[in-house]
Amino acid sequence: MRLRRTDPHTLAGAYALDALGEADRENFERHLLGCEACRAEAASLRDAAGWLAEPAGAVPPPRLRGQVLAEAARTRQQPPPVRVGERVRRSWHGIGWRAPRLAVAIAGAGILVALALGTLLINTQDRLRMDEVHSGEIAAIMNAPDADIMTVHARTRGSATVVMSHAAHKLVLTTARLPALPSTECYQVWLMGTRRIKSAGRLPPPKQGMTAPMIVAGLAAGDRMGVTVEPAGGAASPSAPPVLMLALPSG
Amino acid sequence: MTAELPGERPRAAAGGELAGLLAKVARGDEAAFAGVYDHFATVVYGLVRRVVRDPAQSEEVTQEVLLEVWRTASRFDPTEGSARSWLMMLAHRRAVDRVRSAHASAQREARAAVAATDYDVVVEEVETRLDAQRVRRCLDSLTEIQRESVTLAYYGGYTYREVAALLGVAVGTVKTRMRDGLIRLRDCLGTDS
Repeated sequence: MRLRRTDPHTLAGAYALDALGEADRENFERHLLGCEACRAEAASLRDAAGWLAEPAGAVPPPRLRGQVLAEAARTRQQPPPVRVGERVRRSWHGIGWRAPRLAVAIAGAGILVALALGTLLINTQDRLRMDEVHSGEIAAIMNAPDADIMTVHARTRGSATVVMSHAAHKLVLTTARLPALPSTECYQVWLMGTRRIKSAGRLPPPKQGMTAPMIVAGLAAGDRMGVTVEPAGGAASPSAPPVLMLALPSG
Repeated sequence: MTAELPGERPRAAAGGELAGLLAKVARGDEAAFAGVYDHFATVVYGLVRRVVRDPAQSEEVTQEVLLEVWRTASRFDPTEGSARSWLMMLAHRRAVDRVRSAHASAQREARAAVAATDYDVVVEEVETRLDAQRVRRCLDSLTEIQRESVTLAYYGGYTYREVAALLGVAVGTVKTRMRDGLIRLRDCLGTDS
């Protein structure tokens, strides 16, 4: 099914009721990012929908209270998001990286991150098994105990989201809403260290504005990750200033 | 955004109280978390049970929802909506995820048969509760197709396409009725105080 681009607003009700399929919801959330009035409407309808829970109220089994409180007492909480310049860094250290927790953590990580990683993971929630994610290597990085997640905005438009494992010297990169390029050009990813600049390959072609997760390996301390626009075949070294640059934290 | 929201809501005090509790929960306050449980476990469990139906699974999902509150309380952003709305969203999404997973697919047809009728039964169980009465009164102010579209989606966990199929109407109609119905519900809850 395709979103009717002429009037996505009609989906606000279905969205607030969680009645959109995966593709419809992704489209609508993308629409929300650029439409403040729509976000306000969606929030107010979401609020109204939430009141429908009231008539459904039912007393849970008494044992549940003790279970929930005991489980909370041994569960580490997520730190609040902290803004550092343009970058939103969310440290996920020590959350307890069982697979279902990952989906939860991503779900709690804000709409941009959820959008960037969501196509991969968010709809699998409880059923998430890392071996079902299409690449075990991607899963391993995202599942790493030292995984850091960062989002950086491009100079032009759009953003990149990175999940980085210091120990593995690898990161997973996805992008959203970068400006479309003519077929004669591509986005190329670079690792820019103090002593060398190394190509990490070209970004895959976007699908609905987002690029599939890409692995960048061989990170060294002090590296920055840059993305430049290059001729379609790629270049040996960056030929233009990066449209996007991210200083990678050292472990 | 807040300017466009109707001001007075049922149990506004409890909603504000939840925001205060969440701020404490975010700092690791276990007593505040117990407070969240005591105020909201009934409505969370009731909603999950309503959507998921199976009591054992509902208990599991309820526990997941509340632990998600514990873990992610620091991520609650009051500029994006009320605390109550956030909590109900977590609960509803998890319940819906559970019933939409392949595991539950076998039960879908059985749920289809009862989803439309069961709402009255559930409502009667808790009719003494003021908020429940108010919500029900507002639901009654919707047109029949608005109400059916909204309740099948919310209590049944169906997508709007599935609702359209269940009601035998065009998907475009269902989309519009869901939105119109929620707007009417929102306005009724906001003004009927």
